[in-house]
Amino acid sequence: MVIFAYPLRLGALVAAVLLVLPLGFTEPFAQNILILTLLYAALSQAWNLLGGYCGQVSLGQALYFGLGAYASSILFTRYGVSPLVGAPVGGALSALLALLLGWPFFRLRGHYFAIATIVIAEAGYLLLLNWDWAGAALGILIPAKGDSWLNFQFQKSKLPYYYGILALASLLWLFSYWIEKSKWGFYWRAVRGSSEAAESLGVSIFRYKMMAAAASAFFTSICGSFYAQYVFYIDPDSTVTFAISVLICLPAVLGGIGTLWGPAVGAAVLIPTSELIRAYLGGTGRGGDLVVYGALIMIVATLIPQGITGLITGAARRCGYRGNAQPEVRRDAS
Amino acid sequence: MTGRLIRGLAAIVVAGALSTTAWAQQKEVVIGVIYPLSGQAAQVGVDARHAIETAVDLINNSHDIDLPLAKGTGLPNLGGAKIRLVWADHQADPQKGRSEAERLITQDKVVALVGTYHSSVAAVVSQVAERYKVPFVAVESSSPSLHRQGLKYFFRTGPHDEMFSIAMFDFIEDLKAAKKIQVNNVALFHEDTLFGTDSSNVQLKVAGERGIKVAADIKYRSNSASLSSEVQQLKAAGADVLMPTSYVTDAILLVKTMAELGYQPKAIIAQDAGYIEPSFLEAVGSKAEGIISRGTFALDLATKRPSVAAVEALYKKRSGKSLTDNTARELTGLLVLADAINRAGSTDPEKIRQALATTDIPGAATIMPWAGIKFDANGQNTKATPIMMQFHNGEFRTVWPLDLATQPVIWPMQSK
Repeated sequence: MVIFAYPLRLGALVAAVLLVLPLGFTEPFAQNILILTLLYAALSQAWNLLGGYCGQVSLGQALYFGLGAYASSILFTRYGVSPLVGAPVGGALSALLALLLGWPFFRLRGHYFAIATIVIAEAGYLLLLNWDWAGAALGILIPAKGDSWLNFQFQKSKLPYYYGILALASLLWLFSYWIEKSKWGFYWRAVRGSSEAAESLGVSIFRYKMMAAAASAFFTSICGSFYAQYVFYIDPDSTVTFAISVLICLPAVLGGIGTLWGPAVGAAVLIPTSELIRAYLGGTGRGGDLVVYGALIMIVATLIPQGITGLITGAARRCGYRGNAQPEVRRDAS
Repeated sequence: MTGRLIRGLAAIVVAGALSTTAWAQQKEVVIGVIYPLSGQAAQVGVDARHAIETAVDLINNSHDIDLPLAKGTGLPNLGGAKIRLVWADHQADPQKGRSEAERLITQDKVVALVGTYHSSVAAVVSQVAERYKVPFVAVESSSPSLHRQGLKYFFRTGPHDEMFSIAMFDFIEDLKAAKKIQVNNVALFHEDTLFGTDSSNVQLKVAGERGIKVAADIKYRSNSASLSSEVQQLKAAGADVLMPTSYVTDAILLVKTMAELGYQPKAIIAQDAGYIEPSFLEAVGSKAEGIISRGTFALDLATKRPSVAAVEALYKKRSGKSLTDNTARELTGLLVLADAINRAGSTDPEKIRQALATTDIPGAATIMPWAGIKFDANGQNTKATPIMMQFHNGEFRTVWPLDLATQPVIWPMQSK
């Protein structure tokens, strides 16, 4: 299987297909699935920067997702600031918060780091739930102010949302591609491999962890702003819960942690499955959809723990193919 | 093997598609219903399903019950067309609610939407309905912000939260006029989340407007380990009426602490929730005697409205449970929508919207204790008057509105 050997060519091919794909799926329901898939691909790719390459598993990404959603929504509804400005502002705030939290948290290792991220996200959830100025439990309803790129609101057609999130996901993919080749990427992977060994070789592990955390938080936050503009309504329960944090890392885990294609492949499998199963089995009220969904995840996790992309490259190896542009796919303990 | 499987699946899909077109050739009206059918609030959805299917049964089949559309089959003005429901699961997630609402409208071509229990999901569904110009009937979501969006396709058959607090003061005024019961001051006691804060804000405002003094306004941390100091404050304030807003664990703690510290006002008028939960009544036992709570439905109305007993029997057969506040509102919501579709004589969503806007159903033609169903320009039913119930001899009995009361109010309350 040579497909992963030339990421840029494959990336261009996938992008070309994705550009014309919505023309074949004109129903809003199908377009919604495509948009959600790209949203979670982007979110998981952002998680992958810190959790995959750098090996610092965060289970609190919903904090940045929520911060982005709230920042752009509050700026838009209260001060009339365009979400195109609000999203990067939220992103900057999130990156700053990630650095502040990273200061104490990166002194924790492995599972302790993961637990700390869960706890701080939960604290953020409770804060938002009781913060009247930010809408508290009632949340924020984003009024429809007419379709325009400036408002980033599109009621008549979903296509602008689709191309917007496609651009964001592609940007994240390219960023990951660049990271893999850059000094940062090598340092991050060194930190993941063994932080002691990396440090003995002169890698300032603390600084590189902080960079990974900031980059990951920034992009996660932008996705949060996108979500708010897409759904027109946010509340703490739909943005900052643990369930969202899990959904953010699930595609990467399923597709292949620390790989370029893992998050996208994982999202392409997970999101349409979950949406279709809910739509066609969920109306019974017996939870059959969730049983099927859970079973699928368990099967994948048990049978191919290295992720779907790992399965493909593993099969390619067995067929005698040796790619050199493909970074090592590893099972990672933490 | 896989080939056969795929062919089998294809056959099922084609058969399914054919059967839906066959359905379409019969006269039918398709309504989309969105509820949490899985996840934490799944029980709400399951109960709602029984309630709404009971309503459809009432319409589609002939029943000798004195409600609109119950007699005869289907919708008479549409040549006896039957109602078919398409169910969707929002899992309490606004994003899923949005996508399901879009799917129901664009793929299942529903003529109207009903739902959604969660106010957060209702907020999103109401926007989708507005965009596609399809009426959305919210039946039990009670956040006041919903009808303040200025939407044309949004209708809420049930009361919103503020109407409940206003009703408490209407009740107090009626007592004064009809029974010479004078209430000089009240004490507010509420938990610190959205529910309690909103409740006390409205109570404060209305008390001011009606010239009733607020002797104390005490906010407490929900799920507190002790409420002793708060109850001491209430005792010191010594108001005629205590108006508490709590969920169930706090309600139990409050009533027990009041008994321990020997504090009893002339009346307790509670904001539903914790004070009517079966687990509360079980935990405090006879100490619940005399507590008054607001509500939207009580089964003892059957003595005033015969249709209640008949509908209750139908619902119980289907679900094995009695009608509650929520399920009664859900059942009524669908009947109101069906009545509008029938009057519109059409499945055109715009005509249905116009018919809904001109709805005027008297209270006697519903199973609810409401004055009736009539929507204002924002789509809020202004006649969805709440009731007051008093706990007496082991059950809640309706004591207000006075013409629907099945028992005179016991004032001051007498604990056992």
